[in-house]
Amino acid sequence: MRLLPRFRDRWLLRRIPPASSVRLNQRRIFIMPTAVGLAFLVALLLMLLTAINYQNSLAYGLTFLLGSLYLVTILHTWRNLAGLVLQAGGTTAAFVGEQALLRVRLESPGRAYQAVALGWPASGLRLVDVPAGGAVEVELSLPTQRRGWLRPGRVRVESRFPLGLLVAWSWIDLELAALVYPQPSIAERPPGGKVPETEDEGTLTHGAGVDDYQGLRAWQPGDPRRRLHWKAYSRGQGLLVKDFASLLGNDPLLDFDALDGDTEQRLSRLCHWVVDLSDKQQPFALRLPGELVGPDGGQAHRDACLRALALHGLSEEGVK
Amino acid sequence: MSAKPGIPRNSLIWLLVAQVLVILPHLTHLPLWIIGLWLGCASWRIQIFRMRARYPRSWLKALLMIGAGFGVYFSRGSLVGLEAGVVLLIAAFILKLVEMSTRRDALVLIFLGFFAVVTSYLFEDSLVAGLYSLLPVTALLAAMIGLQQSSLVTRPWPTVRLAGSLLLQAIPLMLVLFLFFPRLPPLWSLPQAGDRGTTGLADHMAPGDIARLGRSAELAFRVTFDGDIPPRDQLYWRAVTFERFDGRRWSQSYASQLPQAPEWQAAGEPLSYSIVMQPSGQPWLFALDVPQVASAEAQLMEDFHLQRRQPVNKPLMYQASSWLDARREATSAPASLGRALQLPEQGNPRTRAWATELRRSAQEPQAMVDALLKHFNRQPYHYTLEPPPVGSDIVDDFLFETRSGFCAHFAGAMTFVLRAAGIPARVVAGYQGGEVNPAGNYLSVRQFDAHAWVEYWVAERGWVSVDPTFQVAPERVEQGLEQALAREQSFLADEPMSLLRYRDIGWMNALRLRWDSLNYGWQRWVLNYQDEQQSQMLQRWFGKLDGQTLGLGLVALLGVLTGVLALLLFKPWRRETDVQQRLFRRFERLLARHGARRHKGEGARSFAQRAAVMLPEQAPAILAFVSLYEAQRYAEQTDATDDLSRALNQLRRALPWRPAAPAQRG
Repeated sequence: MRLLPRFRDRWLLRRIPPASSVRLNQRRIFIMPTAVGLAFLVALLLMLLTAINYQNSLAYGLTFLLGSLYLVTILHTWRNLAGLVLQAGGTTAAFVGEQALLRVRLESPGRAYQAVALGWPASGLRLVDVPAGGAVEVELSLPTQRRGWLRPGRVRVESRFPLGLLVAWSWIDLELAALVYPQPSIAERPPGGKVPETEDEGTLTHGAGVDDYQGLRAWQPGDPRRRLHWKAYSRGQGLLVKDFASLLGNDPLLDFDALDGDTEQRLSRLCHWVVDLSDKQQPFALRLPGELVGPDGGQAHRDACLRALALHGLSEEGVK
Repeated sequence: MSAKPGIPRNSLIWLLVAQVLVILPHLTHLPLWIIGLWLGCASWRIQIFRMRARYPRSWLKALLMIGAGFGVYFSRGSLVGLEAGVVLLIAAFILKLVEMSTRRDALVLIFLGFFAVVTSYLFEDSLVAGLYSLLPVTALLAAMIGLQQSSLVTRPWPTVRLAGSLLLQAIPLMLVLFLFFPRLPPLWSLPQAGDRGTTGLADHMAPGDIARLGRSAELAFRVTFDGDIPPRDQLYWRAVTFERFDGRRWSQSYASQLPQAPEWQAAGEPLSYSIVMQPSGQPWLFALDVPQVASAEAQLMEDFHLQRRQPVNKPLMYQASSWLDARREATSAPASLGRALQLPEQGNPRTRAWATELRRSAQEPQAMVDALLKHFNRQPYHYTLEPPPVGSDIVDDFLFETRSGFCAHFAGAMTFVLRAAGIPARVVAGYQGGEVNPAGNYLSVRQFDAHAWVEYWVAERGWVSVDPTFQVAPERVEQGLEQALAREQSFLADEPMSLLRYRDIGWMNALRLRWDSLNYGWQRWVLNYQDEQQSQMLQRWFGKLDGQTLGLGLVALLGVLTGVLALLLFKPWRRETDVQQRLFRRFERLLARHGARRHKGEGARSFAQRAAVMLPEQAPAILAFVSLYEAQRYAEQTDATDDLSRALNQLRRALPWRPAAPAQRG
């Protein structure tokens, strides 16, 4: 039973190799009649029978006209995908249970493309129109069930335009991958203790933090609004933020080994605290078996921690 | 695409338009309540779309359906048969509109629409009807396209333009299919469109009957002669003979309808012609004496008229040859002579007495006929479409009292006199003359050309035709009815709209003749393009064809046309205007065959350097190509693409030949 899909996958791999940008051409587009198309052919057969039994030339004519239209539609349906360029756009990471967003850019090198459907049959296809010479970005959402890299595999792009009698489709691998973080689950207190103390407590400043006021610096996008120095702003000195440094040693350590439960539960709880502490602008460190992230604060640190949680124990496959 | 996709506005608009266009040609044979039904259903459907009404509940749907069924039964008297079937089809087509909520329903509606168009052809298949039907078909296709479009597309015109262009692209293929698709005889018999009130000759003739036809300008048949059109006074188109006279009307005898070929000898050169006759509701075919038809369907009957098994209920085309000078049943006295002497026991005593008297003075039958014709010529007889009423002895009253009548009066009276004098005679009914159409060099014969004349039998000469009307109104035979009735103003008095009334306005007449010629061409080449015509035509063009060659040729021709269309649609010569890009892609493919694949995102230069390391012998050629490529690409030297392709060829020659690259995941 598994032989056929595997054979198909290997064949597709040869025919449409994965790439972040794919132009649909004759090797990549397949075409088949739809159920409507088959019903149309049955209707044509009935019309032909009417024409034969009534010996009516006009009925013959209309039957032949619609039959020819069917042939013409093959070309048009095919053309409604041919030449279309699909590019992988960015992806937005999600926690397990949320919808991961994957973006695909459809670009038309020439004419307009109408009603192109894109997506995975299991979760429904999105219908888009691509303007002539323009591009549209489609956001595809996928439910997430496991942490790690979500690789939806080949995305189906299809078109039934103009008459719905035929469907032209392709399965293309845009190497889409979205990172899925563990599902945060609430734990009462941050696991683990403090970051292991050094001799000279509180002297080592380590990047931005919340512990120690360091002075004022110019505002940069991403700085929290709570730390804006409004007084300086009212004096006309521009937007300044109060800069704090975190003192190494006082930061909480989120320690995998300090938790009990199975791996996934532990990761979920760690995830909760990563999100929680990051929201509070609290620097922290994360220790997973064989890996220590931080201590640090800020968005980049949060992302690094979540990524470490998401990929813990999994290979980094796909990040080539 | 949700589970139950609704119907986009665009599609609904075109569906409504298509319904009007589909139903319109059917109105001639639909009961009027259909219009009300459509108006009700359409406005209901629009209100549903605007969310101001609900879809009908199932009990209401059932009620509407049963109501429509009853409506059909009461207005058509039946639920079977073509007329009732079509009304049912149209009613279903309309009712489905209200019930339609998903795309699937809409598709059912569209397919019903196509069928309704096909059935409209069974009632009306003129050129105008054929061209008109392209409108509903286009609208139905537009509705079909609208179903596929996203609901954001709201302008209806681009949709119908696309539908029209699809149809135009399909037309060449359609013509090929139409010409070459083998025509089959009917597989089983179906109810035909019933009597559409055809006018024409009947199987009996009372004195006023043909005069009634004289008021109709309806077409009876059209003839194309292989050679020149013979003079008018030779064009006596026989339809049927009347042998029985009951004192009031002349009718066909049963014996004359036996398919027993009469004896005749051809003489002179035959005239060949083809006739397309309009539906007459009668089984006779029209032909000049003595005809032979190519089709096995029609036979020469005992009284020299052509008849086929079924009545002619739709336009019929046939080929015939006629020997105008043939001698008919000259060698021996035919069995029909007894019938040709039959007279009622009673009635018309004055005529009988006069006939005996005439016969006494003219011994020979020929002399008798001549005397009779001279009588019609000399005496004040009057040719008119509006003969005065006569009493019970119709021949007496006509010959001695009123002395005015139409051709049927003259033919009937002459036959009566001949029979009373002992000369076998019968009335022949048919058409005389016809209008020559110079635009198409053919003859149109209309109902007002209906005519009746006489034939009598003499030993050794056989049956001889004679036309008493010619003695009274020679212009009827030489010029036509209009001229014969010039004084009377009664020609087409009942048809004020007929274009024939304006024959004296030159440009209008030319236009009318051209239009008639166009319709005749349509009838001959399109409507009658069936089994026989097709094989004749194909044989004329391509010689003898067997089914297999025909099938292969059809498929090949379709393939070629589709290919041409594909070329026109895709314009492959325009696809890659960027020559450098194309050459670079070839360069990539070439190196990939030798194992050097460009990584994703790898620049041209770094790829070339890597490839040069992998293929050290060809390194200079590789680097030369890339340098040239970069120079042209980034320094915008776009005019020297020849150099680039030369560099590529040098590289190709430097490399050993290798087939296509093995599959490998990049």
